[in-house]
Amino acid sequence: MALSTKIIKKRIRSIGNTKKITKAMEMVSAAKMRKAVNAVLSSRHYSKTAWQTVMNLVQKIDATHHPLLQPKEKIETAAIILISGNKGLCGGFNSHAVAKALEYSRELKEKGVEKQNWIVMGKKGGESLTRSKKNIELDFVKPDLIEGVADVLDLSKMMIQGYLTGQYDQVSIVYTDFTSPLKQEPMVKQLLPLTQSPDESLGQTAGTKEEKPSADTNEYIFEPDIKKVLNHFLPRLIEVQLYQALLESNASEHSARMMAMKNASESANDMIAELTLIYNQARQASITREIAEISGGKAAIEA
Amino acid sequence: MSTNTLHFKIVTPEKIVYESDAKQVTVPTESGEITVLPNHIALVSVLMPGELVVVDSQPVYMAVSGGFIEVANNQITILADTAERAEEIDEKKAQEAHRRAQQLLTEARNKTDVDFSALSAKLEKELARLKVARRKKYRQ
Repeated sequence: MALSTKIIKKRIRSIGNTKKITKAMEMVSAAKMRKAVNAVLSSRHYSKTAWQTVMNLVQKIDATHHPLLQPKEKIETAAIILISGNKGLCGGFNSHAVAKALEYSRELKEKGVEKQNWIVMGKKGGESLTRSKKNIELDFVKPDLIEGVADVLDLSKMMIQGYLTGQYDQVSIVYTDFTSPLKQEPMVKQLLPLTQSPDESLGQTAGTKEEKPSADTNEYIFEPDIKKVLNHFLPRLIEVQLYQALLESNASEHSARMMAMKNASESANDMIAELTLIYNQARQASITREIAEISGGKAAIEA
Repeated sequence: MSTNTLHFKIVTPEKIVYESDAKQVTVPTESGEITVLPNHIALVSVLMPGELVVVDSQPVYMAVSGGFIEVANNQITILADTAERAEEIDEKKAQEAHRRAQQLLTEARNKTDVDFSALSAKLEKELARLKVARRKKYRQ
């Protein structure tokens, strides 16, 4: 019996150690999350305003003014950008994003888009896609610390180039939208062509929707001219949208990890409590038995 | 709809820098400086590095680098890459930054691998900041 209490004690200690680790990871994630959430909330205004402005414009002007606005006649090749995390231990964060991406890929396939090129940002997403034998065309390194729009500059340049040269006929992005530390939702958003669909814009989660400034009757004038303005504006918009998606995913990852670690710490607590109970019972049982043996032995001698 | 005020808003990727009602707004654009008054026609233009002035009861000066401006229905929305209120700019630091940018640019002339246009854009931005910072001093 002494052996079994020893084993239980060892196990309690080992769970205690795991708890220390998960607790520490929770604290680290909480700190990172706070930063990431601040970043995402502050840049939302910009990306939302930019998106609204363009959507406003798109309704007023002819799509022929800029190639990035023009949908291709037939969509043959689609590019799907998947933003995931570099590390695991964050609950369902990575697997949900990947599942959403694969679901979207199936949808595209049903629509007859056979050729799909994947662009991944984040190690975990890349690994899952490799396992499911997807055609990964580009693998970007997701920076652990997001410094600024410069982090997505190459990606956005390549996507715009790819769209203009006809390498892709459509570009979409799969990211995880940050709603609250408790709720993150994987989302798909079409980046190119910039169509008029009044879809959910990035970072515009339920409840934060604002009424669009209506400029129905107005004809816009462009200075110096429409081409120049769009040439400036549209690539910048793509950059900002990609950047926002990256920030949203980052905030989601840290909150998902924090929650996962919090749950792990709590489970460890529960397990320790349970095991302590078992340990005490075993200890008591062995003491009772020892006493019974002693008194039994004594009775035998006295008899 | 005809009113006598504009609603002005300037946002950068970091935050909403300033939001208020205004009687007139002067903006540096690619084709020169323009002043927007109430009931301006809908307009979209490219913002250049320079000095932005919002006049309500008192003028507010800001330094902006590149970006975009949209005017519609008496709403002015400015999407700037960076924007700073005059009060936020330290003139000494601005001067120093301007000098550094200039130096970098002269050094870059000899090298080809440096992105020259990025540096000249930086110089322009610093110049605009300096200008706005000086403006603050004269007013005091």
